[in-house]
Amino acid sequence: MRGVRVLTAVDQVAAAAGLRLGQKATDAMALCPDLETAPAEPEADALALAELSDWCVRFSPAVALAPPDGLYLDVTGVAHLWGGEAGLMADLRARLAKNGLTMRLAIADTPGAAWALAHYGREPELIAPPGEQAALLSPLPPAALQLEPETAAQIERLGLRRIGQLIDIPRAPLARRFGAQTLTRLDQALGRGAEALTYRRPPNPWFARLAFAEPISAPDDMVRVAFDVAAVLCARLETEGQGGRRFHLAFHGVDGKARPLTIGLALAGRDPARIAKLFAPKLETVDPGFGIEVVTLAAEDVEPLEGRQRRLDSLLEADQSLAPLIDRLVNRLGPDRVWRNVPVASHVPELSSAPAPALGVAAPDAPAWNPEQPRPLRLFRAPERLEGVMALTPDDPPRQFQWRRRTHRIALAEGPERIGAEWWRGPIEAVRTDQVRDYYRVEDQDGARFWVFREGLYTEGEPARWWLHGVFG
Amino acid sequence: MSGFREAKLVALKAKIAALEAGGRGDCGVLPFGDVRLDDAFIKGGLPLGQWHEFVSGGMEVETCAAPAAFAALMAAPLARRGEAVWILRRDDLFAPGLVGLGFPAEKLIQVCARDEAEALAVAEDALATEGVSAVFAEVEAVDLTAGRRLQLACEARGATGFILRRRPYGGADRQATGTAAATRWRIAPAPSQPEPGMLGLGAPRWAVHLERCRAGRPGAWLMEAADAYTYEAKHGTHPLRLVAPLGDRHLAPTTPLRLAG
Repeated sequence: MRGVRVLTAVDQVAAAAGLRLGQKATDAMALCPDLETAPAEPEADALALAELSDWCVRFSPAVALAPPDGLYLDVTGVAHLWGGEAGLMADLRARLAKNGLTMRLAIADTPGAAWALAHYGREPELIAPPGEQAALLSPLPPAALQLEPETAAQIERLGLRRIGQLIDIPRAPLARRFGAQTLTRLDQALGRGAEALTYRRPPNPWFARLAFAEPISAPDDMVRVAFDVAAVLCARLETEGQGGRRFHLAFHGVDGKARPLTIGLALAGRDPARIAKLFAPKLETVDPGFGIEVVTLAAEDVEPLEGRQRRLDSLLEADQSLAPLIDRLVNRLGPDRVWRNVPVASHVPELSSAPAPALGVAAPDAPAWNPEQPRPLRLFRAPERLEGVMALTPDDPPRQFQWRRRTHRIALAEGPERIGAEWWRGPIEAVRTDQVRDYYRVEDQDGARFWVFREGLYTEGEPARWWLHGVFG
Repeated sequence: MSGFREAKLVALKAKIAALEAGGRGDCGVLPFGDVRLDDAFIKGGLPLGQWHEFVSGGMEVETCAAPAAFAALMAAPLARRGEAVWILRRDDLFAPGLVGLGFPAEKLIQVCARDEAEALAVAEDALATEGVSAVFAEVEAVDLTAGRRLQLACEARGATGFILRRRPYGGADRQATGTAAATRWRIAPAPSQPEPGMLGLGAPRWAVHLERCRAGRPGAWLMEAADAYTYEAKHGTHPLRLVAPLGDRHLAPTTPLRLAG
């Protein structure tokens, strides 16, 4: 049906007036002449749902989207923080209601059952006792199994109006009749088969949460709770012999917004004081608004970390003592501003040295730099053009050149060292023989040493182009 | 009588040195291995656990290649002992060039600071870190407060600071009002001397002026890199070799030179 406007959502008043989803807009107008309509915005709805799912992280670290209008929260092992599933559900309902959202909630053993009960259940709110999905699902229509619309319609056409009737059918004829998918969906809803949810964030078991009786907003308090939540998580990391390399701290305010902060460590760690210290300078940027009531901390890149004992002579290993410094610098300046240069197997000067993380990288397999090839101490990012170069053709070093408006007369020179482009890296058609640089190390009358090169091959009648690529000390 | 006075002087000097060190023990010295140079320092070598200033002139103010090369060689024995950190504001330091001179660049941690204040703060932080033996920082100027802070950071763990005065993006000169550096060196490149019968350039040379030296006296020397651009580096000796003492022409304040007319 193209070009037909249908209702995609109705509010309670409209529903009471007999309007329903999928109804043609013209029919609806006929039923209700003073109907107010607004164009549907599926993208905005999806965005709002994603935001809601981020907000729900305060209830469970594993939240999955169920478009167009649902969310799955994996509350396994978190309900005790609210004193049970009922408490969790009451809190969630109260907070959503405060934000003007109406909702239907269901807690069940399987995502499929929870979805079915939330969408088709009798009550707007339901907690299915463990193992009693079948009884609760039986009265629901087959569409509650999230089947393809055609399959659901066919099942209903055959007079099967309740899931209970489907459950009673022997499995083989059911699969033959309505497709394997129907059987799978049924199994998933009843917990006989596994259903994989795509969590918005991968579920993270390294998660700690602190809730406060009164919202906090004083900077000192925020520093303290950052340490407290780190201590909770680090205690767990320590018992399991693990350490994290990235930590995500989130302050959840009374306004329902999360204020995320992230730090990284050069080496996996679990020292709460150190982690809190790295967060401390970033806390200033957090606007607590009307107050913070929940703080969460998640560790990522968790890897085994052996408990370390300080050596008796109190001499720490270099990596151990350096790691806090690197962490401070990386978190303050950014990861691309702290590095260690490692050799790269390339004879092109600017490619022969590459930045690597300052700590925790194995030595590269490229051979070390050859000290017998003189290389400048300062290599310019882009070679600088030399003016007024006097040099004998075709391959003598320059006798004199101008750089930065100063004339340098060359007293000593050595070279050339011919360095060509890495032709094997590009396509064969792009290979050219004239992409070469002839490098000379030259020293001027004052003793300043330069690394200059002539671009390309010598061609008669064309002036050579000279560049300065770096200076030696 | 005179023996008594000398003994008393020695005791007083030791007392002053102890006061200057802030109650901490002596961090030791790094001898150059040449009496003519080591004699400039009372303790017979470059004092460690303090910071040293390197200045230059001409185009080196922007490129800062000669002071960097000289300071790197001066600190190479330190860098072999622990970690070295080099704080830049313009990341044009080329590690293969350092390796060629004889500095263990594989161990060097480079930090690119966004501005002057940040460079100084990072230098301070690095100096006070256990395991770091040498910190190089390229900054425009160090005022008295910043210098004192650097000194305190040096004393925390006995690390040595090498402050290279550089204006990486040009601009007007910012004169420091005073300095708390242990030594100030003025470095300029000097023409090299190829070995007889060899083509090309000789070992890199520098005209080195020790302009200011706490607990020592200034001097001027011509120095060269002892084992640059070779695999056969002699690890026992200091990588800087004294070629010849220079005349004290540039040290005008001590003996003002007056031209007739």
